[in-house]
Amino acid sequence: MTDRMEKRIADVLLYGSVFAALIFFYIPIATLVLFSFTKSRFLSWPIPEFSTRWYGELLADRDFWSALGNSALLAVLATVFATLLGIGGAFAWSRYKFRFQWGFRILTFAPLLFPQLLLGVVMLLWFSVLAGWLNMSPGLWSAVIGHVIYITPFCIVIISVQMQGYDNTLDYAAEDAGATRWQILREITLPLIWPGIFSAAIFAFLLSWGNFYITYSLSGSTRTLPTFVFSGIAVGSSPIYPALATLTFIPALVLIFAVDRLRKRAARRRLSAIAES
Amino acid sequence: MAEIQKSWRDGALRLSTLPLLLLMGLFFVIPLIMTALLSFQGTQYYRLVWTWDLKVWTDVFSQVHYWTIMWRTLMMALVCTVLCTILAIPIAYGMLHRLSRWSDHITLLMVFAFLTDAVLKTFGWVLFLDRSGVLNGTLEAIGFPPAAVNVLFTPNATMIGMVYNLLPYTIFTIALSMARIDGDLVLAARDAGASRLRAFIEVTLPLAKPGIWAGAVLVFVLSLGVFLEPKVMGGGTSPLAAELIRQSFETRVNWPLGAALTLVLIVIGAAALTVAGAVALWQARRVVND
Repeated sequence: MTDRMEKRIADVLLYGSVFAALIFFYIPIATLVLFSFTKSRFLSWPIPEFSTRWYGELLADRDFWSALGNSALLAVLATVFATLLGIGGAFAWSRYKFRFQWGFRILTFAPLLFPQLLLGVVMLLWFSVLAGWLNMSPGLWSAVIGHVIYITPFCIVIISVQMQGYDNTLDYAAEDAGATRWQILREITLPLIWPGIFSAAIFAFLLSWGNFYITYSLSGSTRTLPTFVFSGIAVGSSPIYPALATLTFIPALVLIFAVDRLRKRAARRRLSAIAES
Repeated sequence: MAEIQKSWRDGALRLSTLPLLLLMGLFFVIPLIMTALLSFQGTQYYRLVWTWDLKVWTDVFSQVHYWTIMWRTLMMALVCTVLCTILAIPIAYGMLHRLSRWSDHITLLMVFAFLTDAVLKTFGWVLFLDRSGVLNGTLEAIGFPPAAVNVLFTPNATMIGMVYNLLPYTIFTIALSMARIDGDLVLAARDAGASRLRAFIEVTLPLAKPGIWAGAVLVFVLSLGVFLEPKVMGGGTSPLAAELIRQSFETRVNWPLGAALTLVLIVIGAAALTVAGAVALWQARRVVND
């Protein structure tokens, strides 16, 4: 086979597979967006007539608003705790060296390697016992703890990546100049790893927002958007769900592009700092 | 980056690790132990009875029903792992070496699709694959018979859903390890007369092995615990282990049984991780010895 032919075949295969992957990933998403504008009660193709009727019906649905509120509260709480714990964890993972570090690493990474449903079920058993002792039933609080356990490892990984290439001499220089540890952390370390913390927080928010399995097992009778949709489509496909999907896609897209902008700006600033020195 | 040696008496180390250790201990380790203990109990009239026997375990291992579902779960997980790995290799390579200018944007698009609510995406697939869905409607419009593709509510639909939800894991891990490969090595192989394909098979693939293994193991372990895809896309006709677990907790209220089944899956997953870890270690040693 000639080199040119080989290159052509490779090109077709490689370009083709990337495009096919993108199409594959967006098939269900595009389908939902399309169906959100149907006028008909039945979700069948071709769409007979377009309208925004189901958006109106969705916004008039009380259960939707309470699920939205729960999702937002859960995601905010999970994000705050997972990011804070993730910052500490990332320091211990990649900047410090200490006895039993391997044990710490295994313990803090293990939840990532668990199927989410099993993680949820295992915690549910414990929460039911706790709930019995403390006289409260599983609800949003147990879901928050479940999300934090599941999401913190992601935050540790993302922030650790940002810490790669962190220059310790900066800390020593500041220490020599008389800065306290707290000042070093606040004025030097945190600003430098800030892009990592920010991406970790956004990632945490989206993971929590879209989480189904853990919420499903742990939230008791409290519904978030994913479990609200699940209970709805288990009964029969209602046309309000495509509208719900389309509405929730928009904030996620905005957030993801915001992270990317920030990451690029930080990278550019670092490049120019290197160029100056 | 040099690591800083810390003692456990150091306040900074305590502050950064103890809250996390406490949380993981209280809500991850203790629950695991409790699950193990619970599997030795029994139920009567939907209530837990502290019997301390092996009844649940003998049930799990002696009934054909459980073996069938476990076997099916394993096979689905294996097929899903193989598919996700094979599909991800050209995608990751193409992203890095053909569309490198756009790879940031492509990654973002994939991350967005990945992070979107899985229930909604699965529902989107149902609308797409349905007898009167987008795919069949479009095919009918260009001359095919009605409902030409009848895949929804079969195990194949479950597989499509599983691959859909897990493929990003292999793409990201493989792309990460491929991006670290020194391009000069491939050039050297090409200079020495290797064809493109040969350079790819003998240089790129072996160097990307850590990422390929990591992705494959991750997908295998995660695919052991799916019940959304079998239920929503597979129509519940051929349930997997996770569905069994869900039922034993919810409908049958048999917690010891659910705990035992959960442990079986955890052990299978842990075994896969251990094997992969051992293989990785063995290979790293071989490289060092060479």
